[in-house]
Amino acid sequence: MSRTVLERLERLPRRDLTVLALKGISTLVPGGWSNPTSADQLISTVIGSQDPALIRQVRIRADQLSNARAEGYGRALSLYDAVNRSQHATGGLRFLANVTAGLPLLKRISSITPPGDTLQAVDLSLKVGAELLAFTQVNGLPGDSFTDFGVALADYAGEARVRMAALICFDGLLPLGDQALKRLDGLLGAAGSGDLHKLPAYGRMAALIPGRGDAAHLSFLRRGVDQWLGWAGDFVGQLGLSGQKAVVALEGSIGPWQGRMDQLAAFLDAFTDTYAHTGVQAVARRLVERAAAEI
Amino acid sequence: MPRLLRWVLAIGLAGLLIVAGALLLPFSDWWPGGTVAEISKQEVVNGTAFNRLFPTPAAGEEIVFSQEKRGFSEAKLKRDGVVEALLAISDTTTAPEARAKFAAASETIAGWPLVEQGPQASALLVSDRFQLKVIGQGSGLDPQRRHDLLAGFDLPRIAALEPKRPTRTKALQQPAERQPVLQPAA
Repeated sequence: MSRTVLERLERLPRRDLTVLALKGISTLVPGGWSNPTSADQLISTVIGSQDPALIRQVRIRADQLSNARAEGYGRALSLYDAVNRSQHATGGLRFLANVTAGLPLLKRISSITPPGDTLQAVDLSLKVGAELLAFTQVNGLPGDSFTDFGVALADYAGEARVRMAALICFDGLLPLGDQALKRLDGLLGAAGSGDLHKLPAYGRMAALIPGRGDAAHLSFLRRGVDQWLGWAGDFVGQLGLSGQKAVVALEGSIGPWQGRMDQLAAFLDAFTDTYAHTGVQAVARRLVERAAAEI
Repeated sequence: MPRLLRWVLAIGLAGLLIVAGALLLPFSDWWPGGTVAEISKQEVVNGTAFNRLFPTPAAGEEIVFSQEKRGFSEAKLKRDGVVEALLAISDTTTAPEARAKFAAASETIAGWPLVEQGPQASALLVSDRFQLKVIGQGSGLDPQRRHDLLAGFDLPRIAALEPKRPTRTKALQQPAERQPVLQPAA
């Protein structure tokens, strides 16, 4: 039996590189971020009560719901895990290429790694696609119209603002530069199915993406990204996010960095789990909100 | 290596691989089925049916739907972008134990039993089946405001909801069960 969502929440690290990177990014977002890792505390915030009997009831219901496969909470987490593994793999490769580029004998390694930008753009679009799929798994299709759905999606993203800021900074602004969001569509247009297959997460997600064949999947991802870009553009504008600001914010928590921005992005991709970490927290919150309403 | 041994070894390894694949790879989340309380989905009212029955927001307030599953729909009540309360309708066929607390209810709204759960949550059970809940968020809501919100739901139409296929529980099919437990005071 796999772990329930709340068990996963309680096993999240309280202090490691992932948490430090998120702490750094959260200084750019109003409201900040507190790294919630206690299930009981989360439940008591949602129900506004410290009563241990009530908290226990909510917890039992939440575990029931997360064990029921049809409810989708566990599926959302397995999507996040797949994307996270893919991020480690591509990040590791890019990091290795960067490190070995200066060593004469190992230079060949850097020449076999794929060109960064397109791959990075596809990686970002896979993450955004995973986000949409996970959203429908966790929340269903809330409301009766597309407008309702759009509002619900924006609301979900707004609730997980630090998560979205991390996604935009670590996978957009740092590796692709400040014009990342504007360049994204063009880069995706240039991406072929070969680029898609270089990403380990794609193999696991392919069956879930609507449409048959790589071309249909790419076009789904592009449409998903288009939707998301509108929201993300406003978000970047509101907070004034930029690669430079992200670097400064990160330096505040993980220490000075002297390399290029895309090297920092590769390093973070390879050694942190920001996407899955905040994903578990976001799913846990929605799960508890539901369990609290059903007890 | 003798030919037979090679075959046995190969088949054994292949079998082991299949078993290990089925057990160890995290595919189990994607197997179909696995509903809550092992009830067929057809017997549970779909969340889509609940959406129209939420209270209409007052001026300056906004209702944002947040979750919709089979037997469940939840929305947030927002004022000036701040979440004031969670509003939810759920079908208790997947959580029959939730009905127990209403047995001791002393208050009613429109004849349906009302209970408080902690300082921020009020719950109403309509037609012995649908649980309506208002949970104050952030700075919280006083009980009177929560009760007003509960009364704002479209109670008669919630009471009249039916699943696609009737539930196995006999009690729910008797029309007498559909009446309010207490008639509203004349």
